[in-house]
Amino acid sequence: MTRKEFYQYLGPLSEKLYSFAHALVPDDLQAEQLVIDSVNAYLLKERKTLLNRKADLKNKKNIQLLRRTILKSVLRYMADIGCRRAHQLTNMRMNRYSEFTAFYNLEPEARMVLKLRYEAQFAVEEIEEIMQLARYQVIEKIHNGRFLIVNDLNKGVEL
Amino acid sequence: MSEKIPASFVPYQKKITPYLDGTLSANDRSEFEAFVATHPEFETYIQKRREEINLIKGLIPTVTMGDESRVELENEIRLSVFNLLKPEARTLWQSVELKIEDWLNR
Repeated sequence: MTRKEFYQYLGPLSEKLYSFAHALVPDDLQAEQLVIDSVNAYLLKERKTLLNRKADLKNKKNIQLLRRTILKSVLRYMADIGCRRAHQLTNMRMNRYSEFTAFYNLEPEARMVLKLRYEAQFAVEEIEEIMQLARYQVIEKIHNGRFLIVNDLNKGVEL
Repeated sequence: MSEKIPASFVPYQKKITPYLDGTLSANDRSEFEAFVATHPEFETYIQKRREEINLIKGLIPTVTMGDESRVELENEIRLSVFNLLKPEARTLWQSVELKIEDWLNR
C-alpha cells in the first residue's frame, strides 16, 4: 500500500479520532495533539505491515473493514497515550463542557470505555483489544462508569 | 426504585444490563430470552434499563471540529503519513518519483 492509498483510509477518520481524544483530554488543542501523537505512534510501530499490505480501494466493504481495523489500531495507541496524559492534566478546566461534568468526572479509562461502548458501539471483545484490558475489567468499567455517571447526575438533581 | 420485584424476577433482573450490553454468554442469553418470552411483564424492567442506557448515551459528549480545525488536523495527519510511511528509494528514478509525490501532496 502506498502512502497516498493509506491516507485515503485514514483521512476520513480524523473527526472520529478527535471526538475520542476529546473524551480523554477536554481541550481543543490537547485533543488535536493527542490525535497526531496517536497516529504517529501507530505509523512508527506498524510501518512495515502497512507498507506490505495490499490496498483495495474498489470494494466498498473492504474499504470499510480496513478503515475500522485502522481506527481500532489508532485508538489502541490513543487509549494508552491519552489515559496517561489525562491523568497528568486532571486539573484542566472543563467550564466549556459543564453539561458533561458527570462524564468528565470519571476516570479517563472509564470515559474511553463508555465512549467506545455506547457511542461507537464497539463490542466488548473489541474494547478489550483497544484498551488492552481483560474482559472482566472492561465489563467492570462499563458497569461502574454507568453507575457513577447516573449517580452524579442524580446528585445534581437533588441539589 | 422501592417497588417490589417478584422474587422469580431477581436473578434475571441482574442480567438485563449484560443482556443489553451483549456481554451475556450464549447459554445465559438463551435462558434469559426464554424467561422473557414466558414472562411478558418482565419487558417493563428491560425497557426501564434501556431508557437508562439512552440517558447515558446523552451524557457522553460528541465533540465536532470547526471546518478550519478539521482541515488543519487533516493536513497534519497527511504530513505524518507522507513523512513516516516514506519508502526507501532504491534507484534514482524512485527517488525522483518520491520527490514528485511529496511535492504534489504538500
